[in-house]
Amino acid sequence: MRLPRIFRTTPFRLTLLFLALFASAASAFLAYIYVATAGEATRRTDQEIRREMRSLTDVYDRAGVDAVNQSLIERAASERPFLYLLMTRNGERISGSIEESPVEEFTGEPAWATFQVTDLDVQGREVKHPARGLQQRLSGGQILFVGADVGADEAYVAKIVNALRGAVVLVVVLGLAGGILVSRNVSRAMASLTDVVDRVRGGELGARAHVRGTRDEFDELAQGVNEMLDRLERSMAGHKHAGDAIAHDLRSPLTRLRARLEAAYLDVEAGKGDPRQALAQALEDTDGVLKTFGAVLSIARLQAAGQAPDPQVFDPAELGADIAELYEPLCEDKDIDFAAEFAQGLTIRGNREFLAQALANILDNAVKYTPAGGAIMLRVRRRSSGEVEFSVTDTGPGVPEHDRERVIQRFVRLENSRNEPGAGLGLSLVAAVAEAHGGRLELSEGPGKVDDKGPGLRVALILPRA
Amino acid sequence: MRILIVEDDLEAAGVMVRGLTEAGHDCVSAADGEEGLKAARDGEFDVMIVDRMMPKMDGVTLVETLRREGDRTPVLFLSALGEVADRVDGLQAGADDYLVKPYAFPELIARIEALARRRDTGSVNTLLRVGELEMDLIARTVHRAGKEIDLQPREFQLLEFMMRHAGQSVTRTMLLEKVWHYHFDPQTNVIDVHISRLRSKIDKGFDRPMLQTVRGAGYRLDA
Repeated sequence: MRLPRIFRTTPFRLTLLFLALFASAASAFLAYIYVATAGEATRRTDQEIRREMRSLTDVYDRAGVDAVNQSLIERAASERPFLYLLMTRNGERISGSIEESPVEEFTGEPAWATFQVTDLDVQGREVKHPARGLQQRLSGGQILFVGADVGADEAYVAKIVNALRGAVVLVVVLGLAGGILVSRNVSRAMASLTDVVDRVRGGELGARAHVRGTRDEFDELAQGVNEMLDRLERSMAGHKHAGDAIAHDLRSPLTRLRARLEAAYLDVEAGKGDPRQALAQALEDTDGVLKTFGAVLSIARLQAAGQAPDPQVFDPAELGADIAELYEPLCEDKDIDFAAEFAQGLTIRGNREFLAQALANILDNAVKYTPAGGAIMLRVRRRSSGEVEFSVTDTGPGVPEHDRERVIQRFVRLENSRNEPGAGLGLSLVAAVAEAHGGRLELSEGPGKVDDKGPGLRVALILPRA
Repeated sequence: MRILIVEDDLEAAGVMVRGLTEAGHDCVSAADGEEGLKAARDGEFDVMIVDRMMPKMDGVTLVETLRREGDRTPVLFLSALGEVADRVDGLQAGADDYLVKPYAFPELIARIEALARRRDTGSVNTLLRVGELEMDLIARTVHRAGKEIDLQPREFQLLEFMMRHAGQSVTRTMLLEKVWHYHFDPQTNVIDVHISRLRSKIDKGFDRPMLQTVRGAGYRLDA
């Protein structure tokens, strides 16, 4: 038999377990209360019987059997809750409120007996009450029995027991209901997560768990699952994009390479020309393809990882100086005025190699597009926000505002710069490096138009403070 | 030079053997890690070229094993991956240099010769001499034919590297790696400009230029 779903859930099973534990604890508790209250009642009754007995023996010792007899008659008539029986030395009844002693074999030693008394209730019906009594010999030889009705005490104990029993039943019922309710709630939360997992397994990577806003552990789990899926989706998209991009960017050079090789082959077949020229060109083409391939791969890996590998903390001024030293001769060679300015005492956290490459790419671009007689400025500074900014400003033609976003996208090269060498991946890689470091890339206008030159471009790589 | 090539791609190994043989070297090739380990244990080599990913035993394990056994033969590690972590792994395992596939053949030859040379000049020499050129590593001075040449710190390092590998081709990538310690290819000719600055200092005013450009490979300092 299959149990309904709710009975198979973990919270419900836990509820049952706790109920069982509670029921056993309650039973033990009940037993204890019973023993404690019932025992206490008997003890109190016995004490009262003993006191009454003592008071009667005192009367006997002071004034003799007639005084006891007299006292018994008075006491039985009063509201005292005791039963009495005074007997001769041989056990014959002298007087009392009961006919015969419930003590069956009396040896002369004080003896206790439990018995029943018959009484009439308000409707005149006969009812039996439990009773207890003590019998002992008086110093003159007569036998005295004193008993007491314990029905009232027992009824009291029974009431307590009944109340406890009712409480246990109530607790079990309420617990069960509560358990089902909680299980339902928890199961619903779990079901939503299970559903998301199922959908993702089925290939629907966009599925997200519902966050109820209760900030409990289910919300935390749902949020965690969602973040994990976001990251997974981004990474998958990155891989897919990388695949598309590689295909797109490598197809045309490979096509060109193939055509060149084919032409060279036909030339050799026809016995004309030296194939060396074509082969050298083919090698060069291949290098270009491989370079592009490497850059695409770096970008894709950075984007997929979402973070810089092997980060370390270092001084950006020191990196800037290193790169400035590398590029300064190149600028001078091209008759470009190169200047650098580094703020001291800053620290950043990141992959030095990637950041160096990013700066190199920015400077490569600047050198490429700045005409002779122009200027390039490399600067490292702290922004008022606390971020660290590497910026390269040139006096080249700049990038029109509406194209700036597009320049950063992969593989985009502006139409009018097609004839310049370069795979067009430079700034895309810089953007990927910035992103992997939790930073960003900003393009803005340079110093403006001067003597028909400019307006220039300012490229800023902005990193969060370490 | 005797060179051991451990490479599971037989065609790539064949190209290497042919190219290195033509360059005047003596090659032995092994098709997997275990075979390579056996060959390395049995023979004496000046340089080993080890591919990273191979069946039976990968390159990292092979190099680690050899190093543990006390074999100090220079190793050039080859990898198709080119990740930063790979380079670090390879060098940590005990490889001496690292080259990403595919590579240009002159690059491979330049690196192998540099590795073999490094082994020869392991001694701590405070004075380097190549033809008329003299470098004092302690005083940080350079003289050519007795005439002092004033160099910037980076130019000094660049010349030191060239002098240590005098007579061999060194590529631009090698220079960026060994002198500047960067592992990427700059797109523009940044290295060329540094070389031409250095050249103007050491060759200017002398009849015979020492710093040569090697077409398709890089540069060479000749005595």
